[in-house]
Amino acid sequence: MTDTTRTAAASRRSLPNGVWGIALFIATEATLFGSLIASYFYLRFKHAGWPLGGIEPPKPALPLAITGALVLAIVPMFLASAAARRGSVGATARFVITALVVQAGYLVVQIVLFADDLSKFKPTTNAYGSVYFTLLGVDHFHVLIGILLSLWLLSRLATGLTNYRVVATRVISWYWYFASTVAVAVTLTQLSSSL
Amino acid sequence: MATVASPEAARRVQRLERVWRERPGLLGWLTTCDHKRIGILYLFTSLAFFAAGGVEALLVRTQLIRPDNGLLGPEKFDQMMTTHGVTMIFLFVIPISIGAFGNYLVPLMIGSRDMAFPRMNALSYWLFLASGIFIYTGLFLGHGPNAGWFDYVPLGSKQYDPGPNVDFYALGLIFNGVSSTAAAINFIVTIFKLRAPGMSLNRMPLFCYAFLAVSFALIFALPPLNVALGFLELDRRLGFHFFDVAHGGDALMWQHLFWIFGHPEVYIIILPAFGIATSIIPTFTRRKMVAFPLVALAEILVAFIGFGVWVHHMFATGLSSITLVYFAAASLIIVVPSGIQLFAWITTLNTGRPEFKTPLLFICGFIIFFLLGGLSGVMFAAIPFDQQLTDTYFVVAHFHFVIFGAAVFPILGGLYYWFPKVTGRMYHERTGQLSFWLAFTGTALTFFPMHIVGLLGMPRRVYTYPGGMGWSDYNLLESIGAYVLASGLFLIVANLLVSAFRGVRVGPDPWGGATLEWATSSPPPDYNFPVIPKVTSAYAMWDREDREEDARKLTRGDLVLERGHETPASTVLDADWDEILEMPSDSPWPITLAAAAAGVFAFLLLGHWLVAGVFGGLCLAVLAAWHRQEPQLA
Amino acid sequence: MAGRPRLLVPIVCSTAFAGCGGGQSPLSPKSKPAHDISTLWWWMLAVASVVFLGAVFMITIAWLRRKREGLPYLGRRENVANGLVVVFGLLVPVAVLGVVFVIANLVVTKDTDAPAAGSTAMSIHVIGHQWFWEVRYQGTPAVTANEIHIPVRTRVDLAVNTADVIHSFWVPELNRKIDMIPGQTGRILLYADRPGQYRGQCAEFCGVQHAHMAMKVIAEPAATFRGWLANQSRPARAPTTPAQRLGRQTFLTTACSDCHTLRGTAARGVIGPDLTHLMSRSTLAALTIPNRPDELARWILDPQHVKPGNKMPGLKLDAAETRNLVDFLESLK
Repeated sequence: MTDTTRTAAASRRSLPNGVWGIALFIATEATLFGSLIASYFYLRFKHAGWPLGGIEPPKPALPLAITGALVLAIVPMFLASAAARRGSVGATARFVITALVVQAGYLVVQIVLFADDLSKFKPTTNAYGSVYFTLLGVDHFHVLIGILLSLWLLSRLATGLTNYRVVATRVISWYWYFASTVAVAVTLTQLSSSL
Repeated sequence: MATVASPEAARRVQRLERVWRERPGLLGWLTTCDHKRIGILYLFTSLAFFAAGGVEALLVRTQLIRPDNGLLGPEKFDQMMTTHGVTMIFLFVIPISIGAFGNYLVPLMIGSRDMAFPRMNALSYWLFLASGIFIYTGLFLGHGPNAGWFDYVPLGSKQYDPGPNVDFYALGLIFNGVSSTAAAINFIVTIFKLRAPGMSLNRMPLFCYAFLAVSFALIFALPPLNVALGFLELDRRLGFHFFDVAHGGDALMWQHLFWIFGHPEVYIIILPAFGIATSIIPTFTRRKMVAFPLVALAEILVAFIGFGVWVHHMFATGLSSITLVYFAAASLIIVVPSGIQLFAWITTLNTGRPEFKTPLLFICGFIIFFLLGGLSGVMFAAIPFDQQLTDTYFVVAHFHFVIFGAAVFPILGGLYYWFPKVTGRMYHERTGQLSFWLAFTGTALTFFPMHIVGLLGMPRRVYTYPGGMGWSDYNLLESIGAYVLASGLFLIVANLLVSAFRGVRVGPDPWGGATLEWATSSPPPDYNFPVIPKVTSAYAMWDREDREEDARKLTRGDLVLERGHETPASTVLDADWDEILEMPSDSPWPITLAAAAAGVFAFLLLGHWLVAGVFGGLCLAVLAAWHRQEPQLA
Repeated sequence: MAGRPRLLVPIVCSTAFAGCGGGQSPLSPKSKPAHDISTLWWWMLAVASVVFLGAVFMITIAWLRRKREGLPYLGRRENVANGLVVVFGLLVPVAVLGVVFVIANLVVTKDTDAPAAGSTAMSIHVIGHQWFWEVRYQGTPAVTANEIHIPVRTRVDLAVNTADVIHSFWVPELNRKIDMIPGQTGRILLYADRPGQYRGQCAEFCGVQHAHMAMKVIAEPAATFRGWLANQSRPARAPTTPAQRLGRQTFLTTACSDCHTLRGTAARGVIGPDLTHLMSRSTLAALTIPNRPDELARWILDPQHVKPGNKMPGLKLDAAETRNLVDFLESLK
């Protein structure tokens, strides 16, 4: 990392443009999830019995556990961001990889659970199925995108740290703070009929 | 900044010109990331869609010119009526306001050299163009959207609208929404971070306040629409049951999701017009805006409160009284910030020395029509009145006065006002005034009788009506009015086109404007300003000492930033200097990404999910290539 | 307060509203809810006119005094201008809007609420279809379409549903509109001050023939209504002539009975309107054409020509079959 890069990162007083950009993007995505979750509860309160059609509510233990793990993965991402601002590319990459292992593990387990749910009922079964699978599907898709972003970041870090990549690390960390937090809201919504 | 005094200054300007020179020819336009070129692209594309929407309107009005007319059968009429609404809102008024006016002017007004994310800016344009082509492909294939611009379910469901019409609508609007979201993010970051050092938030032009408010509104309004459209497509194409009552879904949920977007959308439509009005009025009244802080606050409040009123589109659906009363109260409260602005504009006109040139005439027309539309809007906040007159021509009158009269008139005035800046020539004033009177008369004649015919019980969205209802004469008047209006619009285009080639040449500031776009040449150079301007008040152009200081700064090399493709970033509140930003110049990736995205939507429409997924992967690949180019710090 | 608008209505009507009597105007109220809404409108119009003309006046003054700065009498003082904005842009609107809110949304709106359960003498159930109205009289076998008879000056509880997409029931001279939304039942009061025919129309875009989905409410003296309802409750009249018998045969063996019901026969279709007492109605196709033999024949042979896109297929009948079928239908009084 060059001196000018470190100077720029250290002397900047406001958030870099990229971080503002991701913050606003997060605002749109948070509103998206807000609308999805609101739709879930709107449909739920239209009906006396929920889930509809005698579908069994999901078991809470595993989703809660893995979502907890995903939230914990915020810590290495935060540390990665700090390491990047310090100029330490090796530490940055190590923290990103640590988080990535947890995040990828989370996604794999979620996909297995999703497939298992699909064997019991479908989105075409009734409105509960539709909103359940859509809400979860959109959330898992966001985690997948996050994983692709982290992989891309690692490929760029492999050739060193520039000011651009420092900002990129911060941006992608912010993305993960959001994706992990919104996963909590989605999981709690998913489990709202079991809790 | 026309004259350069010293050889030092000349050398710096030469360097700027070399660094910022746009690539020539067609390739230059396809790869441009310059906000001014992108603004021009948006302008011509949205005007083309305006013409298309206008033709649709004339066809509708001609079909309705007399009872039981046979020009358009119901299927064609329904497509014309729906596509007219979709075109005018999503493909004309938003793109021209935000993409053309916003893009061209905001960086100039804040003393910057470009938007915060120039490549994403280009992407917004190409996505807009592609989404418009997508929707019109449906129309040209005879499968245009046909269930109304708000496409209520179950009418828009597969069962009752089995063809691809609604899929063109839903996918096309999701596609279009990505463009607007990207633009909104770009404007917010630009307005927050790229203001010239010294332009603290309270010294920012009111035009920029309007665009800040509109951008935040877009951020929060579009996602509910995307959720609604996503649910609709999942129901239609994959057999989901979001809106299907038989399987636990709810038809009213569509209306809630749609109007949670739809109401803020109308404030999104009008806020840029407020910004244009608050730019033109000070210039032509030769005084500062009365109650500037109140007006700025009002612009922001309108956007904010606009999120809390959506149920007033659903007063006839049988929701509980307490719900209706709450939303009616909120709908009345939102009148207040608009009232403040209206009164501030009128008071400014009265206390200044107004010159009633064409731009100001259009703003006067805007004030009158906004008031008219606003007053009928207030009436709709009276629940029982709404329950009689909603879904009649009375509401068609209301929204055309606020959309056409109040959002489009400032756009037309703005075209005249900034024409000299963009082209370096003046339009023909007499013709301009005639075009105003034609447009004003045409608007009044087309839309005012609609109040009456609505009060006589004529419902909306009818492809024909029987004689003997007392409606025929008014419909005839309205249709004639539409032709008068069209002639006025045609005259505006003709005036501007001819003047672009033969108008009298002008310098940087023919009007004595207050904002910074008037500080640079007409048209502006590719780098906007040779020196990032010094700003110490909200009316920067009227601070003569600051403008003279800029000339001296050029010689000194103070904030010229000619070493690279550079513009400064400053802090959000006080605009203290923060860092130098290196801007990308041109790039093939935005248009490529838009093309890949078009592939995604085309194959989703056709139902080839896997191929759509492949194009999605292609989008990711293009994004990776895009981000390989890292702006280098000087 | 009641007197003035009544005077205004004919004056304004005859000048600006030439032809108030189309029969579908919210400004020709024939019941209390519609009347209260109409009065509310005239008051709001008065206030709006004052505001509008005031603004036009100020712009005119701005143009007339364009060479001079400052306001008349008040001059150029900035705090005066700011004060005017606060008073006329904020305080006065808040006051006026507050009054509008209280009157419209706390008082008048009570008139348009659904009637309290059990507070009405009778209940009617209307179901919206693409593109006609199915009308059922609760507690009787009577089913008709598009023309709703009620006894005059009698409170009727109207419950509305839809069989397909969203429609909206709207008879402006009698009351506000109420949407017909799948999965829920809307309710309003139907009440007419005086005997007459009141036209209504579907008020929510419902597809290609939304424009031709009208209906009539016919308010008549109680005795007349009872006679009408008694007739409607009976099954279809038996044919009395050979032509009618042949016509009936055609009806029951062709596509007719797939979509239409004739109570008392094997025809039990529910896609189109109940035709048991077709001749008790004055129009066909939801008020699109008059109910006359020639129009009826034209409709049967080519419904797409009359109402393009509607769900009725044309029947291939020769002249004799057509005559017999029409004769039979003409007997369904």
